[in-house]
Formats: sequence, structure tokens, C-alpha cells
Amino acid sequence: MSVSSRYLPQSHRLRLAVLAAVAISLFVPLVARLWYLQVIKETAFVERAADNTTETIIELAPRGRILDAKGRILVDNRASILVTIDKEEMATVGADDLQDLFFDLATEISRSGNLTKVTEIESAYRSNRYGPFAEVPVVQDISEELQIYLAEYSYKFPGVNTTVTTVRDYPYGSLAAHILGYVGLLSEDEMSSVALKEKTYLANDEIGKSGIELFYEDALRGTPGTKVVTVDKFNNILEVNEEIPAKAGSDVQLTIDIDLQALAEQELARGLSIAKQQPTKFEEEGVVIFNAPAGAMVVMDPRDGSILAMASYPTFDPELFVSGISNDDFDELTDPGNFLPLLNRAIQGTYPPGSTFKPFTAYAALDTGLIGSRGILSVNDPFYDEGVFLIPSCEGGTCRFQNAGEAAYGDVDLRLALTYSSDVYFYNLAASFDILPGFDLESVQVAAKSFGYGSRTGVTLAGEGSGRIPTPASRRDAYRENPDAFLTGQWLTGDTLNTSIGQGDVLATPLQIVNSYSALVNGGTLYAPNLGKRILDPITGETQVEFAPRVLKEIFLPDAFSEPILEGLAAVTTWRSEIGTEGTAYNAFKDFPHEQWPVSGKTGTSEKQVENMLIADYGLFVGWGPNPEPEYVAVVVLEEAGFGGQVAAPVIRRYFETIALDNVPAFLSQAEKDEIAKEQAARPSLTPVTETENINEDNSTS
Amino acid sequence: MKTRRNRKNFNLNPTGDPWSPWLHVDIALVLSSVALAIIGAFMVYSATRGNDPEAYDRAYLNRQLLFLVVGVAAMTTAAYFPYRRIRDWVPAVFWGGMFLLLLVLTPLGVERNGTKAWFEFGSFQLQPSELCKIAYIFMLANYLERFNGRLDARQLGNGLLLGLIPIGLILLETDVGTALVFIAITMGMLLVAGAQTKHILVLTVVGVILSALVWSSGVLQDYQQDRLTSFIDPASSQTEAAYQQTQAQIAIGSGGLTGQGFGQGQQTRGEFVPEQHTDFIFSVIGEEFGFVGSVSVLALFAIVMWRCMRTARKSPDLLGTLICCGVMTLFAFQMFQSVGMTLGIMPITGIPIPFVSYGGSSAISCFVGIGLVLNIHMRRYQVV
Repeated sequence: MSVSSRYLPQSHRLRLAVLAAVAISLFVPLVARLWYLQVIKETAFVERAADNTTETIIELAPRGRILDAKGRILVDNRASILVTIDKEEMATVGADDLQDLFFDLATEISRSGNLTKVTEIESAYRSNRYGPFAEVPVVQDISEELQIYLAEYSYKFPGVNTTVTTVRDYPYGSLAAHILGYVGLLSEDEMSSVALKEKTYLANDEIGKSGIELFYEDALRGTPGTKVVTVDKFNNILEVNEEIPAKAGSDVQLTIDIDLQALAEQELARGLSIAKQQPTKFEEEGVVIFNAPAGAMVVMDPRDGSILAMASYPTFDPELFVSGISNDDFDELTDPGNFLPLLNRAIQGTYPPGSTFKPFTAYAALDTGLIGSRGILSVNDPFYDEGVFLIPSCEGGTCRFQNAGEAAYGDVDLRLALTYSSDVYFYNLAASFDILPGFDLESVQVAAKSFGYGSRTGVTLAGEGSGRIPTPASRRDAYRENPDAFLTGQWLTGDTLNTSIGQGDVLATPLQIVNSYSALVNGGTLYAPNLGKRILDPITGETQVEFAPRVLKEIFLPDAFSEPILEGLAAVTTWRSEIGTEGTAYNAFKDFPHEQWPVSGKTGTSEKQVENMLIADYGLFVGWGPNPEPEYVAVVVLEEAGFGGQVAAPVIRRYFETIALDNVPAFLSQAEKDEIAKEQAARPSLTPVTETENINEDNSTS
Repeated sequence: MKTRRNRKNFNLNPTGDPWSPWLHVDIALVLSSVALAIIGAFMVYSATRGNDPEAYDRAYLNRQLLFLVVGVAAMTTAAYFPYRRIRDWVPAVFWGGMFLLLLVLTPLGVERNGTKAWFEFGSFQLQPSELCKIAYIFMLANYLERFNGRLDARQLGNGLLLGLIPIGLILLETDVGTALVFIAITMGMLLVAGAQTKHILVLTVVGVILSALVWSSGVLQDYQQDRLTSFIDPASSQTEAAYQQTQAQIAIGSGGLTGQGFGQGQQTRGEFVPEQHTDFIFSVIGEEFGFVGSVSVLALFAIVMWRCMRTARKSPDLLGTLICCGVMTLFAFQMFQSVGMTLGIMPITGIPIPFVSYGGSSAISCFVGIGLVLNIHMRRYQVV
């Protein structure tokens, strides 16, 4: 027998065996579980481990800059210190302490000069656009001193951090604000729409909201870099596995020239302020006040459809949007009482074009042959304008139409009708379209549409208005939709007459007007206006994309059509007869250097119908030069400002005169101004003389 | 057979040379337990070295190797004096241990993770409940031996009362896990000491009822209840305990068949599993050495337990048998409980894996246990 059983009775050996069996059985579930975890479920756990331990860090890329036609930087980036709150860390702070903390933080930030309310910090912190572990941006653009302070007293502000980000910088202030637009935090709607884009967006990313920033978002946006890293439980980076560096967004160069832009903005504002000074008119219908609160101006190169300047008044300071605009500021910018400063009236404002529309009515008459062999009169035939036009066999509505101020121009041919802006001449054409057999009553509409009215020009800006060219069909539809707004759904002869002089329901954006004139003066090429010139590599400056002129169509415009129209319009600024009748802008362009820089134009004075209110007319002027091959076409619209020839034409005159005399001042950025001031301070002995001279010069031009 | 008889004759050394029993040392037991300890030391290193390849932290490794050396020395000492002679000192050691368990409840003791079970001496901690395990095994064996393998109700009750002393004191530390170890040891030893089947059944029923009463009485803190229940469905629970078990299973599962390699475990390097160098060290083994490595470690435990049971059978007296069974039960229960909680099939109770987990008290206690088994093995031929 074995030694082991020396003392042990049989029962004890059994008990040992039971204990051993229990011990052995313990291994069964352990090994089974190991098999399950490590062999059956391995893949799932490998994935979960990877989720745990690898993290993708997005590195933000700076946005591309926006340059003017000469390469000057209109929108730049600058570093900005951002205060953020670590939600995870902040969650450990009790509710009472949190209030105190926010209060202290708001106090410190405000004391450093960046007025901040406790509620602003709190709503940012509570905003549900960020996850529970996010770093929430709270206040942008704090001073370096405050950053140091917050770091030094970090024990007082647990969870409050600062990081350096880049924000938009505007070296030229509010210049071209409407064109450039602004950026802002992604909205929820935008978040879903950018989900499929090539360049990744994050919850606290900025996106172009309007203007060029919006239109060229895809080019301007940088491509964020990614870094795949291995992290530990506390998110410390252990190693970098993969890195794709961030790529700065491309620069966008505009067709805008900032000197011309600054001049346009300045002249527009001056035009409005002069218009405002007109005395209030007391008429039978009521009191007319020249509020002149708003306006727009667009300058275009008719040779290729590129926009040289585009101004809208009132304007705004895009700097307001940099740190995230406050609700109060945003409300002010979108308040109709403030005349909607954010609205880009050049492309979004729709105005009755008034008499500036007449050349297209003239074109319709020439194109259809109404003026010509088969029509009612030839180009040179005079028509006797007695100041009043009665619709023959009138069937209802208004039957008696008259010139502005019932002025009678006597015998006018097509040229003079344009020069004097004779309504009656064009009423006669319109009535003939309406009445004469063989002529289409929509001829004017067809002509206008072929010059781009009634539809978007396709300018490279978002939010463009399409204007409106009324037709019998559109009238019927409008009546059906809203019967109260019209006396009748019928299209009357009077409507054709109103349409022919750009009144009634005709609406056009300033851009449509300038674009149609471009086609008229360049021989019939209708362009889609360009604001973008090219896209540049942000580092090498090489051209990545060049935007060629975009021809929408070639309008049938033989010399036989364009000559009488353009001659009539050239006389607008220059013609004065022996008896004293003159072109509608003759006065405005008196003493203009016509020989050097021949200029043409067309005035417009349009009535805006506002319910239960009498408001001043809108003054318009379209001008171009130097003839015969114009390089500039400019339009200006002044709201509630009076006669186009009186208030609008001088704006364009001053603008063109500055160009003609080669006096366009170089518009300086704040930094450049500071530089000059410093230089002048450095040599004080020379400055007094030059300064006085400058002042004198300034006075003489104004 | 011939060689064996020869060896036996040779080893039956009547002269009482104190070194002669060493010829009967159970090499397999020594090697497997030391192997476990060495593997453990390197797992501790992997779990604590940090992530700076220029300056890996060797502090834990060095200390664990020191514990290993001290443990081997303690093992040798425990094996050196014939166990039948040690028994005279056992009551003194046991009651000394009980005193330490009382003392640790006073402000002299240090609390960690809600359990007040440590004395602190500079940078070293001493956990008296670990050391008491072996003293208790010897004490209980000493008491039960005299009944020659058949316990009546009173003797059984006395044995239980003896067990209640350390168990009660350890529960006062709120160290449920270690108390369970003592209960397991008591049950295992009572079984072998000759408890009657009906008594065992009654005890089991009473135990279940008591557990239910304790559970519903509210004596346990919420976090303790969480730790005991979260393993059932860790995904539904947001507690630290559930997180710990989930992370441990991710680590082990991602180890796959052969593991990610020493020092390569992502979960381990990221320190995602709390206590990965102590109670949850099996997650490091699972992640870095995979199924193969994990099963190998379990196999080493199987060898240790097998050698303990073998010695229990070969013991010349009931005292030796009971000690071996106590030590074996200690290893088996701690191994199963600790590995099981890491794998998510047992509730979380903070007990270390014998030999492997970081900790001096545990290492010394385990090696003393091995030393006692060696002691019995060495002297299995000596006449009582």
C-alpha cells in the first residue's frame, strides 16, 4: 500500500477527493469564459479597445483670405484668445459655486474691456450643441493679460481654459462689408447640409453666412488635419499613429478694386446726405419728406461683366461678427427701423427702374419693327409730345397718362424721347403694342427679359433677388392668389403703358439694371456678373482657378438699333437746345470733362407704392463712359430721395469725374494710416505745409 | 520501485539531521509558485511602468521582486522548522494576529477604497488580514486535528466560533472579500476534518439565509451592493465597479488567442482598468498574452493546487492534511474569485490573485502557505 494511506481512513480520502473535485471544477467556468472573451468575441473587444484607446484629433485649418483685384487683403485672419469651459470638469462644480464662478469670470472678462454678461456665459455653457465632455467656447478675443491672469488663478476658475484660435480680421474696416459677408457658428440646419462635404466640419466650426464668405465657402474653408493618436484613460497622448496636416483654405481674389469701392461707398453716402437736405415738399396729396435713408450703387466693367464696386447703404461693421455677434447687435442689424443694414440692396433690393427702363422699351419697338418700315413711325420721325397721353378707346382703369410735371416736349424722335425722358412717346409705343394688330402686347416684357430682367443675373453672391417683369399671365396668377391687392385680375392697356416706363409692377435690382446697360453698351453681350476673379493657393500664391467671363447670351443688337438709343442717351448728359430744353442729366454733368471722357447716362425717377403713405420718389441714374467703348457702367439708386436727375446723377458724375481726372484716392487700411502718421511724426518740420495743402485740395473737390 | 525504495530508505534518516528533509522538497510546487510570482512581477511592471520609453518606471517591479525574495525567504523559514513543533507557537501567533486586526481598526490603521485594513510604515503597507490567513489555517487545523476525523455538532460549532473571530474582525474593516476567503477556508477544512453531511447541509442553508438577511438589512453600503451585482449586467450600470469590469473584459477580450505581446496591451498602457496591477492584474495577462497565456497561468495554479492536494494525501498526520487543504482552499478560492471577477463572472471583491498581484502582504502570506505545505511534504515519512 502506498504511504499516503497510512493514517487516513477511507472516508477521509473521499472527502479529499470531493475537495479536489470542487477545486478542479473551478477551472471549467474560468477557461470557458476565457474562450468566450478571447476567441469567440475577440473582434468585438478589439474594436472596443480601439475605440477606447485611439482618438482622432481634428486640427483646424485657417480660412483662406479675400483679396481685391490688385491683391490687397480685404479679409485676413488673426490670432484670438478664446475662453473655453471644460464641461466635464465644470460638471464637478456645485450649482451655487457655479453661479459664483460664472459671476467672477464675467467680472474679470468685463473688467479687461470685453463686456460680458453672466447669462451669456451660462447660456453658452448650457447650450446643448456641445456634448458632455466638450470644451465650450465662451468668450472670444480676450486680452493677453487676462489669459495670463486666468492661468495664474486657475484654482479659482476650475474648468476654465484659454486657447488661441484664428478669427477673421478686416484691415479695411467696414469697407465692402456686404460683398465680403461674414462668418458665424454653424447652425443646426447648416450642420446637416455640410455633413456630406469633403472638408469636415465640427460643431463649433465657423461657416460663411453671407456674401463672398458664403458663396466661396468651399474654396475659403481650410481642410482640417487629422491626427490619430493612442491615448490613455486620462486622454494623455501616448503616441501619434497617423497624421494628415491641416491645409489652409484657398485665397479668393475679387474683381473689386478697393479704391473704386471706397469711392463708391463714399459717393453713395454723400448722395444720400445731400438728398436728405432737400426741403420737405407740401403737395395736394400730402407731405413728401426726403428721408433718403438707403441706397445702392454698382459699378461694372461692361467688357467682361466683372463688378468693380458694389455699395449698399446703410452698411455694417463685419468686426461685430468676429467674436460671435450679440443678440442686441444682431437685432439692430436686422431691424427694418434701421433700414436693414445687413441687406445688400445692390442685389437684394428690388426697385421700380422707372425711366431707366425706357431704352429697353425702345429696343422692343425697334426689334419688333414698331419703329421702322412696318410700324407706326421711323426712328427719325417726330412724335408730338403734348405732355398728356390718352388711351384710345379706353376700356377702364386709368385712361389719362402724363409726363412728370405734365411737361410738354413738343416734337420728339426716339433720340430726343430718351434724352428728355418723354413718357408720352413711350406710352404711344406701348399703346400701339397693345392695340395694333400684328404686334405682341408683351413685346416690352420680351425685350426686357432678353436683357436679363425678371431673372437672377447669376452673380457670384448668394441671396440675389430676381426682380419682376409683369405679364398678363403673371397678373392673373397674382390676382388669384391675393384678390384684395388688385382692382381686377385683367391686364389693361394702362398696365402695358406703366410697364413701358419701368413702373407698375416692374421691379429690378440695381445689379440687373447695371447688367442690362452693360449689354446695351458693349454690343449686346449679356454677362453673368463676376465678383470672383480667381482662387489662389494660400502659400505659393499660384492661381488654382481662374474665373473667365461668363457670357449668358448674345442679344440681337445691330447698329441700327443701338445707335439711336445710345445717341439719345449720350445727349442726356450733354444736350441743351436753344430754347432751354435739356437732357435730364445735363445739369448734373455741367462742366464735366466730356471731351476727355465722354459719358452717357439715363435718369430714372420711380414711384414706390406704399400703402396709406406718401413717400418721396426713388432717384436712379445709370451712367457709363468713356464712350465710345465704355469701361465703366455705374448705377445708383437712392431711396426716397427725389428726382434721379437731381439727386442720383450727381453721384455718378462725381464718381466718374474722379475716375476721368485720375484722382481716385488710394484707400488705406488702418495699419497703413498708422504707418503714415508715424512717419509724419518722425519729420515734423515738413508736415505743416503739406497738411494745409491737403486740406485745401479736399475742400475743393467736395 | 527499486530506486524509490532506496531513496526511501536513504531518507528515513534516524539521526535527525535537520537538513535531511530538504531532500524531499516538492520541486514542482516551488517552481510553479515562483513562476507565478515572476510572471506576476513582470505583469506588475507592464501595468505600472508608464508610457515614457526613455524612463520606464521600475519602482513597482523592484518592490515586487523584493517581495518575491522576502516571500521565498519566508517560505524557506516556514519549511525549516518541523510543523509539528511549530504548533506550540501557533496560538500565540494567531492571537497576535487577532490583536493586529483589532489594532488596524483604530486610528493606527489606514483606509483605502473604503476598507480599513492596512498599517503604514513609510512607503510600505502591511495588511494583517493577509498574514492572519495562514495563522488561522494552522490554528484551525490544530484545533480540528484532535477529533480524529469525525466532528460532532459541538466540535463543529467550536470550529465555527473560532472562525468567527477573524471573520468578524475583518468584516469590521468592511473587507467582505477577505472575509469570504476565511469562510471558504473554514468550509474546506471542516469538510476534510470530518464534518457530517447533515451538518454541512444545515450550515449551507443557514449561510444562504444569513446572506439574504445581510443583503436586505441595509448593512451593506450602496457601492458594496453595486460591486456585488454589477457583474451580472455591467452595461446597465454606470458605477465605477461596472466600468472596471467592462474595461477589464475589453482588455482580456482584445488579447485574442495569443495576446498583444508584453508591454503592448493598449488598455494596459492607457491604464483603463483601475487596479490593474493589484486585484485586476489578470486583465494584463489576458491582454498581453491572450488565451494561451491566460490558460498557462491557470495551469500553473492547477499545478500548485494539485501539489497541495497531493501533499494532503501523503501527510503523515491529520494536522498536515488539514493545513494542506486549508492552503489549497485559500489559493483555489482566491484564484477563482479574483480571476472570475476580472472575467466578469464573479462579483467584485477586492482580493488579489495569489502570487501574481502586486502586494507584499499577499506575497509573503502565499509563500508562507507554500512553505507549510513543503514542510509537510518534506516530513511525510517521519513517524509521528
